[in-house]
Amino acid sequence: MSRIWRKGLSISVPGPQPGGTIDRQITEEASLVIPATGDLRVEALALEGETVAQGQPLFRDLRHDGLITCAPMAGRVARLDIDSARRLRQVTLFHEPGAGRYERSPLPLDQRDLQTLTEHLRAAGLWQLLRARPFGGLADPARPPAAIFVMALDTRPGAPDPRRALDGQEAHFASGLAALAALTAQTEGPIFLCHREGAAPVQGPGPRIRLLPAAPLHPWGLAGLHIHAQRPATPDRPVWDIAAEDVAAIGALLDTGLLPETRLVSLTGTGLRETRLVRCQPWADLRGLCQGHVRPGQNTILSGSLLEGRPARWLLGTDRQATITAYHPSHGRGHWFLSALSHAARPLPLIPTAALEQSMGGALPAVALLRAIASGDAETAQTLGVLSLLPEDLALADYVTGAEPRLSALLAALLARMAEEEAA
Amino acid sequence: MNRGLWDRETVAALLLIAALPLALTWLVLDGPFGLLRLAVFLVTAGVWHLVWMLARAQPPSLAGALTALALAVLAPGELGPVALLLSTSFGVIVAELAFGGWGRNVLNPATVTLAFMGFGFPAAPWPDLAVQLGWASWAMLAIGLAFGVLPGPVVLGALGTLGLAALAGLPFGGAMPALCVGLALLVADPVASATTPLGRWLNGALYGGLCVLFLAFWQDAAPVQIAVSAALLASLAAPLFDEISIALWLRRRNRRHG
Repeated sequence: MSRIWRKGLSISVPGPQPGGTIDRQITEEASLVIPATGDLRVEALALEGETVAQGQPLFRDLRHDGLITCAPMAGRVARLDIDSARRLRQVTLFHEPGAGRYERSPLPLDQRDLQTLTEHLRAAGLWQLLRARPFGGLADPARPPAAIFVMALDTRPGAPDPRRALDGQEAHFASGLAALAALTAQTEGPIFLCHREGAAPVQGPGPRIRLLPAAPLHPWGLAGLHIHAQRPATPDRPVWDIAAEDVAAIGALLDTGLLPETRLVSLTGTGLRETRLVRCQPWADLRGLCQGHVRPGQNTILSGSLLEGRPARWLLGTDRQATITAYHPSHGRGHWFLSALSHAARPLPLIPTAALEQSMGGALPAVALLRAIASGDAETAQTLGVLSLLPEDLALADYVTGAEPRLSALLAALLARMAEEEAA
Repeated sequence: MNRGLWDRETVAALLLIAALPLALTWLVLDGPFGLLRLAVFLVTAGVWHLVWMLARAQPPSLAGALTALALAVLAPGELGPVALLLSTSFGVIVAELAFGGWGRNVLNPATVTLAFMGFGFPAAPWPDLAVQLGWASWAMLAIGLAFGVLPGPVVLGALGTLGLAALAGLPFGGAMPALCVGLALLVADPVASATTPLGRWLNGALYGGLCVLFLAFWQDAAPVQIAVSAALLASLAAPLFDEISIALWLRRRNRRHG
């Protein structure tokens, strides 16, 4: 019943839509760059100049026990920049196909219990694919989740269809789902599998796996609103979410002992001559992927969709798309009076329109929530369910209303403050 | 760089576009005198917007023109210049600019101005609105709803209540144009009306209900006076309706999720 009233928007990026053939392309370089504000303390497990196999441990997180990051492709460690405080700044790999793949032993079915699985995933570098709410960030094994949301639907403009990413990996996906169910064994929490209406990726779901069909309207292809509606996240009962392709990666690791080499990534935007669907490694070089496909002139490369993408050279985190847009230089500073006017009354007032309502999916009192976020009212925002949301969930509202400063940035600041208070 | 359309000034411009049929009909009916009247309100509201821009760096808004139009159509005639300037300034400043400009206000500035005129200068006669204006306001409501800049449930709630009363045989006796113009220009304001679905239905229904009540029991009131009073009370109650709606939503949610 409630699904009839679901609202949302479908935004099409200018230019061709993703589809057609999938090319496989491993770029010559792959890199992870930690922004200046990041604070990742690590111990190197491979040295600069050393050749590593795909999936071989690269460094260990010093703050989180047993959390290891592995090489996304076979190659030589060209640069490993760790400062004197053991803060990681940058890792860069050069592709060397001869280095092969790093093999682990498959985990037998009878050993897939909570403890072993957690350690296994953390040691293989797949634990980082799980994202925890409230506040986002790494999933904490000490706080078992009330539910895990698997997203087999992605409604971001220009996003690749997760169903295509799962083609031929159904068995791995099923064993990945079973592994997630083992991770929530303690709380008996359900695994929600969110998919496009009429296109369930599994036929006979397991006992604790619940199908969650949704219309392909943004933002219903993001985990935030589903979590808000089904199982609101609280500090005591966190909720995790993960993309369907990453679940298949977990299954592949457990069944075969190998980490998948690629992920399905779409390249869209006005700066491209044609839209591309590629299978490339994580941390891929976006310039390498675009080479020969961009229009002449200056372009900006965003990792992520048009709505929430960040300018980047390398494919960031768990992003599955990159947007290439024509570069618009800022129009200078303008007259001092206009700039004073435009900087005085921030945040800009929100006018409640149908567009704003739709951009929040119609599932919550949108105007009240956005006003609470804009004014930094943590208490009201928490009552209205802000703990289930992450900045990406407000990217559409930002886009639609042209909000300044961006509501997603305000939400990020609010969540950081709430997390600090929670930790204190 | 990448941004949509629906910022404050776009919405204000779309509201003005939606109001064009109403404004043109009214200008045709009232002629040059109407134009002069509109100009006076435009200048008064515009001057205050400029003053607040210079003194408080508060960007002026196209919504000021909408306020001026509502005042020109609905304000009592034969007000002296002092009374007119005083009440317009009161409404524009106290109801809109002091709160930080359009988008942050709690009440519609035109509603406040008209109520101030009604209470402060009760001898001034309220205008009689021609029946064409009533139809033109339907056009405004339709365009505004199509663009999504007017709150649908408010409009439907009000029209529904009025329609029910008409079916029940309440004598409207020529009050319909004033009630519809009041709904279009004063009540169905996206900023000052309620923002939650249930709140909006209640908000619209309260306006309709108050209009019906005043028509039945307020013997010597002019139609515009009834519309303005109902609009003022309905928009004063809007935050309450939002509170009720959110409280009910939270209760349902807590029952479901524990």
